[in-house]
Amino acid sequence: MKLPPVVRLVVRNFEANLDPITLLVMFGQPAFLIVILGTMFSGLISSVGSSGSYIAFLVPGMIASQMITGAVLCGRVFWLDRRWAMVEQIFSGPFLRAEYLAALLITALLFSLVGVGIMVLVALPLIGVPGLSGFELSVILGTIALGSLFFGGLLIAIGGRIRSANLYFTIQSVLQYFLVFISTVYYPVSAKTPLVLRAIVYANPLTYAANTVRDAFTHSFGAGDLVAGAVLTGLAVVSFVLAVASFNRLELGPVQ
Amino acid sequence: MPGPTSPRETVLRVERLGYAYSPERFAIRDLSFEVGRGEVFGLLGRNGAGKTTTVRVLTTLLPPTEGTAELFGKDLHRCGRAERARIGVVLQAESLDFVSVERNLTLYGFLWGVPREVAKSRAEEMLALFELNEVRHRKPWGLSGGERRRFQVARELMHEMELLFLDEPTVGLDALTRKRILEYLARRARDGLSIVFTTHILQEADQLCHRIGVLQGGRLRASGPPAEVKRRYRGPRTVEAGFERALTDPERTDLLGLLTRHGEKFKVVSFEPSVLTFQAGNAEDLVAEISRWASPRDLDVDRISVREATLEEAFVNLVSDDAPADPGPRSEFA
Repeated sequence: MKLPPVVRLVVRNFEANLDPITLLVMFGQPAFLIVILGTMFSGLISSVGSSGSYIAFLVPGMIASQMITGAVLCGRVFWLDRRWAMVEQIFSGPFLRAEYLAALLITALLFSLVGVGIMVLVALPLIGVPGLSGFELSVILGTIALGSLFFGGLLIAIGGRIRSANLYFTIQSVLQYFLVFISTVYYPVSAKTPLVLRAIVYANPLTYAANTVRDAFTHSFGAGDLVAGAVLTGLAVVSFVLAVASFNRLELGPVQ
Repeated sequence: MPGPTSPRETVLRVERLGYAYSPERFAIRDLSFEVGRGEVFGLLGRNGAGKTTTVRVLTTLLPPTEGTAELFGKDLHRCGRAERARIGVVLQAESLDFVSVERNLTLYGFLWGVPREVAKSRAEEMLALFELNEVRHRKPWGLSGGERRRFQVARELMHEMELLFLDEPTVGLDALTRKRILEYLARRARDGLSIVFTTHILQEADQLCHRIGVLQGGRLRASGPPAEVKRRYRGPRTVEAGFERALTDPERTDLLGLLTRHGEKFKVVSFEPSVLTFQAGNAEDLVAEISRWASPRDLDVDRISVREATLEEAFVNLVSDDAPADPGPRSEFA
């Protein structure tokens, strides 16, 4: 029995373009940061808001940041497919462009979830079992899904309009570091934070995702998180539309 | 190698097809040809003639901007997954996945929905056929240019198809490998696979294709069976006439005068004492003329050879800048 085309494409995405070292770095780096940053800063910072210890604050943020990791890997698959003419090869085969796009976004989501799993495993010895309710777990997974769709769609939209690998990977790196560092993944925003930085942090969708995941961890999910969820949903829709538009205008042929 | 010419089911029909990047800049225009089941159709042309664009349009990667084409009887604009599932495409650009050669083959089979066991045995067949066994565990980018090209063709043959598009599949291959691949393709064509084939190597088009089309500036200058295209566009052929003895000066003058008066475009390549070598458009007439001239003079003609035109010569005549316009009412012969 043939698997559905989207499933075949997702399986192929997982295997085709990603070498083990890339995956080790992509997932190992945040895991490493949980251990090192969590341990080091926990000695310096006595408590952070309702999270308590710094490491309890950091872990939900790192979990949320996995949506960026998933999106970056998905963008990488797409770009390498363009670079090595696999987009054309697939488009000339028994697949719809929509299926290829869907497979990329599902790939982003699945990579994000793999990242979440790894972060949880690394964090467990440090913070213990979080004791999440089914609802809180759903909130976390839903937030990760929306975030993956948003960031994955964004990178696909950008990747579809650029014909240079150097430029694409530069934009991706800048975006990745900008989004992660100017958010509440590593540190909270307070009244002491400079206004400009505060404005940028609150313009960053990852901030809302990190805050929502953190609230789920601290059992303090509230109205603000519902608004954040609505904003993230809206952004995910916009990003998806941008990705579709980019795909429709995708110029096939050699890229550098 | 080419064989059947009887009417067959048409798998690809192209009618006044064109693709334009902008209203002023077209890549291909007014292309018309058909490909029957089991037929090998070769698209020839210089760099930038429009061969790759034609393949990209016909494989639905680019939408035609004018004219029509039918793939398996369905308008190209409406062709989708079902029609694409019946074609195979070896693109000019290298396409590969970042896994071993062997896994590339089976993964591609998986992508096309080929059952696992079938994919596995077919991969073995392809690895052997395309002499990739030694590099089966290597990543494709570590292969030589020729090996990568072989790999591209091998991978596409992992799935079933009725029409195969090959965009310069033999670039960078040595003569022996090329011969093997062409023989394999010819065998597949005899089994009913239709092939659209672009190449710069005219000898292989001559060998493999039932019909060829010559593109120039995005337009089809001529098409038909290779022999027909050669006959029509071969230009002057080289004739060598060897006499039993050296010709006297009056005989030489007389013979040259006769040939010149014959009216055919005629050019002496060399005139040694007993051997005349010349080029002429209609060599057969002049050969007969020479025999008639020699007979009453009691002069035996030891040998007369007419070298047949190659497809390359016909091609050069066709696409050279000062080539005459296509004399036919349309560029289609067959």
